[in-house]
Amino acid sequence: MPVSALVAKIARQVLTVIFIVALLTFIVGPLLWLAIRAFSTSWTYPRLLPDGWTLQWFGRVFDDPQLFSSIRLSIEFAITTLIVSSVICLPAAYAFSRFDFPGRRVFLIGLFATNAFPKTGLYVALAALFYAFNLMSTFGGVVVVHLLGTIVFMTWIPAAAFASVPRSFEEAARDAGGGRLRVFFTITLPLAMPGILVALIMSFLASFDEAQGTYLVGAPEFYTMPTEMYSLVLNYPRQVAAVFSILLSIPSVVLLMLVRKHVMGGQLAEGFQIR
Amino acid sequence: MARSHTGTGAASRGKIGGLLMASPPIIVAAVFVGFPILVAIAYSLGHVGGLNRTIATIARGQHTVAAWDQMSLGAYRDVFTDQRFTHDLGVTIIVTLIATLAVTALAWVIAVYLRTTPEGAWFRSGVAKLISGLAVVPMFIPVVIASWAMLTFYAADGFIRSLCADLGFQGPTWGYTMVCVAIGLVWTNLPFATLMITSGVQSVPDPLIEAARDAGAGLLTIVRTVIAPLTIVPTVIALTFTAIGTLGAFTMPYFTGPNAPSMLGVDMVSYFRSYNRPQQSVVMAVVVFAVAAVFGAFYVWANFRSAKDSGRV
Repeated sequence: MPVSALVAKIARQVLTVIFIVALLTFIVGPLLWLAIRAFSTSWTYPRLLPDGWTLQWFGRVFDDPQLFSSIRLSIEFAITTLIVSSVICLPAAYAFSRFDFPGRRVFLIGLFATNAFPKTGLYVALAALFYAFNLMSTFGGVVVVHLLGTIVFMTWIPAAAFASVPRSFEEAARDAGGGRLRVFFTITLPLAMPGILVALIMSFLASFDEAQGTYLVGAPEFYTMPTEMYSLVLNYPRQVAAVFSILLSIPSVVLLMLVRKHVMGGQLAEGFQIR
Repeated sequence: MARSHTGTGAASRGKIGGLLMASPPIIVAAVFVGFPILVAIAYSLGHVGGLNRTIATIARGQHTVAAWDQMSLGAYRDVFTDQRFTHDLGVTIIVTLIATLAVTALAWVIAVYLRTTPEGAWFRSGVAKLISGLAVVPMFIPVVIASWAMLTFYAADGFIRSLCADLGFQGPTWGYTMVCVAIGLVWTNLPFATLMITSGVQSVPDPLIEAARDAGAGLLTIVRTVIAPLTIVPTVIALTFTAIGTLGAFTMPYFTGPNAPSMLGVDMVSYFRSYNRPQQSVVMAVVVFAVAAVFGAFYVWANFRSAKDSGRV
């Protein structure tokens, strides 16, 4: 290899390393900086590590009834939202992929439009109406807000998953004497499961992480974990906010790890193309 | 995608059943998205009767009309003559454009790097794996946490300033500035854009890229003439989603931004909750919807075009 080519190759690798370090700092740096704080006694500027280490802040969060109840409330909202959203959206997803009814495309795009409104604007419009329906600061009102955040995931992604199940499989099973429902539950549903799972997990997290709408509609009655953060960072030591952040991130990290392969493999990207 | 069944009887049954099965989410979207927006537009134009009565009784500084066929642009005049609003609108649009372009550019760099990594090159494939893993990390983190993490990282006593101080010079304080808001919005929007664009770039057929390479084309030429034209739709989807997400952002600017100027998401919530002026808040929402509609139309256009190209329409 001539020297100039070697130099060019090394230069390219050095540039790549610089890019990686920058990307690593940009993406992981803030998270690490926050996570370390949860275990610190105090932290003096401009040191790069805390003055001392402790686990006392975890006890502080678990002993605080208000913080603990927000954790429970978040889980209740997420599960309720998931059940309601599944009942409403999954049959529709199947219909969108398998039946050719009038207005199918218009409706599919119409559903998508729920995501095309900037969130805060939509919640403000919704909150104005919630006063009339007596849904302000109610459990149902918050569920509606969370539900809206899941509709596109729960129709589009499963619809793409159902559509990717070859019709010939279903027809073969039906020819072999399987009933409509039996074919659906033994052939179609299992094959579409990865896509549905991605949708379910995205929806669970959408509800679990939702902050702005819950704050606008739910406060002051309902403080979930994310909305609790708004006041937490003002009223508690910074270490407590850091502990709370770690706790709030655990479900997301665990659940997304489970479906990481499918999300990265294109189920998500695939689900957002109009068919 | 959906083909009609054999026999007209089965087909029409499928049609009605399909419509019935598909209707629940459509009804939910109509009742809780479409309808509130129409009611809100009416409210912004001064209609305080009917469903708007409850909110109108507790609001301050409203402009009202007496009959259904009238309208008042008073609330719009209030909002648009407020220098703070016009300033914030400008800032919001600029931050949206910067964040959207930065996210798309970064996602493209990552996607092209992944696509052009030859098999067997251990350094490059290691790097490629690392980058593709890194780019989706923000998806795993709730926005509230991300916002707080951004603030502490770029604050006056944050990592960047600490590092600079240890190296012997004064670093920038980006916490509570629009710089931090823009950085944070790039951070939160990167995974979706990267997934969309990577998936698009990966689906460009190998022979096309190899043919261009055999013809002596450099990387930039290949990207410009082969990859880009085949990846327009995912790119547009990534652009619109990022732009709309940024326009409606509340949490990131609320945590990491300055008191003034702020982004419209923050203004809307404070007008609604703190200043008790919901009508002006709704006016801002309508303005934001109008800006978003421009991006949304772009998305629908791109998707229709691709559907047409592949013969799906």
